[in-house]
Amino acid sequence: MIASRGLHVSYRWRQEPVLKGVNGTFEGKHLILGPNGSGKTTFFRAICGLTNITSGEIVVDGENVENLYATIGVMSTNFHEVYGLLAANVYDLIVLYTDLVKGDPSLALEIIRDMGIEPDFLRKRKLNELSAGQQKIVCTALALAMKAKHVLLDEPFEQLDPAKKSRMIKHLTGYQGVILVNTHETWLLKNLQEWTVFFMFEGVLYGPLSVKELLRAEISLKDEPKALLKVKVSDKTVSILEGHGAGTLLTSLENLDKIYELAEDRA
Amino acid sequence: MTKYFEMNVKSLLTNPYLIFWSILFIEFWILMWVFVFGNEIPPLEEAVRLYMASAYGNLLILSLSGACVTIGGSILYSSKSIRYVTKYTRLSPSRFLFENLVSSLVVLLIVCAVMLLSVIALFYSKFALFIVPVNPIGLAGSLLLSTLFIYALSLFLNLLIVTLKAPKSANFISFLPLIFGFVSYSALWIDFKAAVYVSPFNCITSICYFAASGEIPPAGNFFAPPNSQTLVDVNLALISLIAWTVVLIVVDVLLLRKMRGVGVEEIRTT
Repeated sequence: MIASRGLHVSYRWRQEPVLKGVNGTFEGKHLILGPNGSGKTTFFRAICGLTNITSGEIVVDGENVENLYATIGVMSTNFHEVYGLLAANVYDLIVLYTDLVKGDPSLALEIIRDMGIEPDFLRKRKLNELSAGQQKIVCTALALAMKAKHVLLDEPFEQLDPAKKSRMIKHLTGYQGVILVNTHETWLLKNLQEWTVFFMFEGVLYGPLSVKELLRAEISLKDEPKALLKVKVSDKTVSILEGHGAGTLLTSLENLDKIYELAEDRA
Repeated sequence: MTKYFEMNVKSLLTNPYLIFWSILFIEFWILMWVFVFGNEIPPLEEAVRLYMASAYGNLLILSLSGACVTIGGSILYSSKSIRYVTKYTRLSPSRFLFENLVSSLVVLLIVCAVMLLSVIALFYSKFALFIVPVNPIGLAGSLLLSTLFIYALSLFLNLLIVTLKAPKSANFISFLPLIFGFVSYSALWIDFKAAVYVSPFNCITSICYFAASGEIPPAGNFFAPPNSQTLVDVNLALISLIAWTVVLIVVDVLLLRKMRGVGVEEIRTT
């Protein structure tokens, strides 16, 4: 279980915080939806211990993340920068990282092959020589192959074509463990109906709601008393309501960046 | 050892910067020392031995400084990964330090050995004298200590960049060993006197010169008449080098636990 308590993160002294008191508990499969720049990636970096926490704490299975060292099987992620330990070819990196957690490289290679990349190709390329989509596939496959109890996946569907997106979803839904996926795409909700959803807007986390609730949910730019959830977007309250056919369906938005456009249109 | 050890050795040995700056560039200077500057050296074994020890001791500093920049760069560019693997894999901070240290020492000692063999072979081809170090075990120990210091320094400088979140200074700070190396190299013409003991680079030159030639090294001005040179207390130079190394390694361990890593993009774009 991952718990975030009053988490504030700033990158520079006296700079407005990127995360503004994030609270949440994660022990199943969760989506964190939010527009670009809302703080999702910073939140994942803080959970992994890759960025300085200004105040608050992240607790993983009862242990403050700051105190975790050499703990195999606790956490993995698909941030490409954590797979740059050596300037080796991608195949060797897969062997190295799975060796470091006593894992099985064949699982990563199986996922990668399923996503249309042949292992032989990986022997000839370094990670930074792959396309953005290929990098995402390799890093996500590595994160899953490390068989950690908690897996953090930052935009795992970005740069993938629709066929690969749906194959990636299969790998995620079949995974045994806690998964947090952050994305700004809402189209995938219908494929992940057993998951729960958190929203992140402007450094604040809202939720959770079940995906089933959200599939019927509509967005209103008013402060609705019966809202399932209210979020603050550019100082406006946006309500997420049970759908009655009157508002804009959340799933009709291709991604959550559209909420800002919607807010501007109605202003 | 994990696979990291052997893969880091392979990665460093095939690093083009290390091959160029620590081996090929130095080979060029060995050729210069032997075939250009060495023309005035009388073909007497004692004279050639001292000259060869000077060449090896001083060029070693340039070679190790170059390697220091390369090893430091590899740490700087992988600092985010280091943070991650020390938290969530078998490589704890101390185990990472150990495996990184041993793999780097293997590479540095290979560089030292290549240089030594080149110096012996080229001096033989010029003077027809087969001169080997007077105290090979002492030289091996000196090289081990020297490479240990160089590793500790490169790790320290780059962890400092990461911990202070100063990627803007990365270029300057990571090249400091090379600058220090050239300052130390200037001892060929300048008598450093007691400052030798403060400069670990000059201490390396001194202890390697001593082990290779069996003679007390000068504190600088290598080509001046012997009676006008200040001589180095080799024991004091050794103590100074050990002290520097121990202090840097302790600081390295502390910084390794504290640092969060710095992104490659931050280094490239600042």
